[in-house]
Amino acid sequence: MAEFLTSKELAIKVSICLGVLVVVMCLCALVGTQNISLERVFDGPGQKPGENIDYEIFARVRLPRVILAALVGAALACSGVVLQAILRNPLADPYILGISSGAGLGVIITILSGISWSFWGGSPIGIFAFAGALITVWLVWYIGHFTGKSQATSLLLAGVVVNAFFSAIIMFLTSIAKSEQVFSTIFWLMGNITDKELSVLWVSAGCIIAGIIVLFTVCHRLNVLALGQEEAKGLGVDVARTRIVAFACAAFITAIAVSLSGLIGFVGLIIPHGVRLAFGPDHRQLLPLSAIIGAAFLVIADTIARIIVAPAQLPVGVITAIAGGPFFLILLAKYSRKVSWLK
Amino acid sequence: MNTIIKVENLNFGYTRQDTILKGISFEVIQGRFLAIAGPNGAGKTTLLNLLCGLLRPKAGSIRIDSAPVESYSAKKLAQKVAVVRQEFVPVFDFTVAQMVSMARTPYLGTFGFESNTDKQIVNEALEATETAQFALRALGSLSGGERQRVFIARALAANSPVLLLDEPTSFLDLKHQVGIYDLLKTAQLEKGKTIVAVTHDINLAAQYCDEILLLGANGNYHIGETKDVLSPEQIERVFGVRTFVGKLGQEKFFIPLGKFAKYSGQIAGKPHNIQQE
Amino acid sequence: MNKWWWLLLIILCLAGVGFVIFGTQQAQNPGPSPSPNNPDRVVSLAPSLTEILFALGLDDKIVGVTLNSDYPPAAEKKTKVGTFWQPDTEAVIAAKPDLVVTLQIGQQKSVADSLNRLGYQVLALKIESIEELFTAIQKIGTATGSKQRADELIENISGQLNYLKSKYSPTNKPRVLWVIQTEPLRVAGRNTFINEFIELLGGENAIGPTIQQYPPIGTEELLACNAEVIIQSAMGKTDIGRQQQQAEVFWSKWASMPAVKDNNIYVVNSDTVLRLGPRLPQGVEIVGRCLHPDTSIKSSETAQRIR
Repeated sequence: MAEFLTSKELAIKVSICLGVLVVVMCLCALVGTQNISLERVFDGPGQKPGENIDYEIFARVRLPRVILAALVGAALACSGVVLQAILRNPLADPYILGISSGAGLGVIITILSGISWSFWGGSPIGIFAFAGALITVWLVWYIGHFTGKSQATSLLLAGVVVNAFFSAIIMFLTSIAKSEQVFSTIFWLMGNITDKELSVLWVSAGCIIAGIIVLFTVCHRLNVLALGQEEAKGLGVDVARTRIVAFACAAFITAIAVSLSGLIGFVGLIIPHGVRLAFGPDHRQLLPLSAIIGAAFLVIADTIARIIVAPAQLPVGVITAIAGGPFFLILLAKYSRKVSWLK
Repeated sequence: MNTIIKVENLNFGYTRQDTILKGISFEVIQGRFLAIAGPNGAGKTTLLNLLCGLLRPKAGSIRIDSAPVESYSAKKLAQKVAVVRQEFVPVFDFTVAQMVSMARTPYLGTFGFESNTDKQIVNEALEATETAQFALRALGSLSGGERQRVFIARALAANSPVLLLDEPTSFLDLKHQVGIYDLLKTAQLEKGKTIVAVTHDINLAAQYCDEILLLGANGNYHIGETKDVLSPEQIERVFGVRTFVGKLGQEKFFIPLGKFAKYSGQIAGKPHNIQQE
Repeated sequence: MNKWWWLLLIILCLAGVGFVIFGTQQAQNPGPSPSPNNPDRVVSLAPSLTEILFALGLDDKIVGVTLNSDYPPAAEKKTKVGTFWQPDTEAVIAAKPDLVVTLQIGQQKSVADSLNRLGYQVLALKIESIEELFTAIQKIGTATGSKQRADELIENISGQLNYLKSKYSPTNKPRVLWVIQTEPLRVAGRNTFINEFIELLGGENAIGPTIQQYPPIGTEELLACNAEVIIQSAMGKTDIGRQQQQAEVFWSKWASMPAVKDNNIYVVNSDTVLRLGPRLPQGVEIVGRCLHPDTSIKSSETAQRIR
């Protein structure tokens, strides 16, 4: 007898995972370079700043960071799932279609031109990174469409070309920048979780959650899309429309994640794989679970990054790469034995 | 006696200059089994792709159930026409059940969860193709024949009046070849499905199909009842191969004769009819 | 189908509303309360700022410094609050500062913003030239209630600079090439504080005006610039003597350059010389000795020259 994924079953799995995520987030907020006690935290904020430092550190420095890490992790993991389905390529990551170089270009232009006005609390760097990412993605989509009717290969090639071109511009601009500007750029590109303002977090959370919900509605069609364009059309899926919606959403939430925290690698690549190995390739399940597990992964990675070389901090991308690298090699070894993937 | 597929004056070519299909017209009545045969490059697969809306004709029209193919949305068309192509293993390791369930996509709601009806239909399709035992196995772990049956199960689960197949048995062993045609014939007789199958095997076509469309390489074609269309002269004209014709009761079978085939020497010159005792 | 689109709309509206609410709250937030002019606990996020604070006599008030604050030696014993490039907000908060002194550089800006939002008193300074150094010292003086000592410090430093300027009066105007990196070859251009040192001491930058502050240069330009003195900032804290030897070997390739012919190649400790802080005059003096070797007394200190 066949087993089907029911909405009830999925709801239960998602709830359990969400519960675990909340526990992880709270635990990680209690860990850091300074020791704080939970009881003191509950005493609440003092009259003036500096009165209850346990509360301040927990609620106003660590909690925003943990929330941000969760949001970025969820966004990147979801984006990875969707792009792997659209491009039918298990090696796709969220940055593959130009987002990384576009965001980087936005960042270095901001840093070089010294724009420092902050737009409603969002830093100018973040905003330009967001704009740069979206413009580049649109460009890649347009070129891909122009050259090959948005077939997976032509999209990938367009992404490679645009990435190379923009990277060259970034290199040029870096060469004429002052040293501290260069460091700022590189630092940003390495990916970092920092504490952001509540207003920025709130908007980002809303956008990312909305994006993930929209992607969820497309999931059952993503399953079919993974079989190829002809097959998908024969099974009643509007391939072009599904692709555009999925791609635009994935690009949008990735651009938000990148504008908040720079380019954190490996999350978008390994979380989808890990979840697929454990739970199977059905995207209706893969997407929500990847989001939650991606969130937990990045929260933990950021916590490690914060404490492991105190008083200095590692960029969180280092931890994700160290965790991701060996895992990726294992995956590669497993897949190379599966003839189907090499076709 | 409802005409479910109507092709009128179909013209198609992949580039502006050449035309593979010229002025083809035919009708398929609901519940019939049509075979499409012809030499390589004659345009069989192209015709199939035109019938399922993947390609647009240069001239002429194709109507499915009295409406032009272009007028259907992808969703509605999938509910009318199910296509079975060469089996393959997808990039992600879906199970048999998941693969067959994908046929229900045009019928699912916003979040894509299967209703009880959907589940029932999928189970029936698995039973009919004898693949229920594989339901939880990944597609990559099956043999080619088993996978092809899964693809047919998927087409059956779509519950569409028309089934289009592109060489469903090309790479399968004898048992599976016969098995699949038996399956198709059952679907036709028990469920009243209209089946159009591209095939290289004229004998299977002769045995199972009601009508046959022979597509010639130069664009001309013949369509009619298999017993009328298939004759050694016709086969030689379209395929360029001499055949030995045998009879099994009322049915004819054709054995192609190559230059060095063992029988060639015995039948010098013309094709020969021999009665089978 | 419709109810889910409504849910989506509600989420997006909530996001927008929340943004407006928190955003205006932020804007209305008057920031930290006006500071007492006598902070008891000060955190410094840069080594140069730490030196200034010590020079103003505020050593016991310093409760946090960054990792590379190594001068004066007492600074090394203070609690560390992260690195110069990445200050640790948590550690700064844990130190309960009344005043946080920062530079307007990269990550320090964002940490400064965070601390400001949390209600801490933050002083952000820009120190990229000698003039800006004096302004910074004044601002720190005002903020810490040691204006008098700040003025004295400024007078002290400018006095020493004037002395150095007159001591190394321009008999010749040596063409100086200041090399900050050898692979690839990058030098200090005319738009840097390094150039200020050179010109203060009566020298001239061998490189003409460039758009980049620290331009990479090619061999052609190198030979054409006719540098009479080459000064190289040492990388890190490794043995200056060894670096000096390596430098001489490196430059011997271009024997036609006047600096190489006369062996006017010097390796200097960038921590002392290039840190714009109270030790500025010492740094300038070392550079002066490099430029006018005849007026110098052979020193065993940071600049060495091996004949």
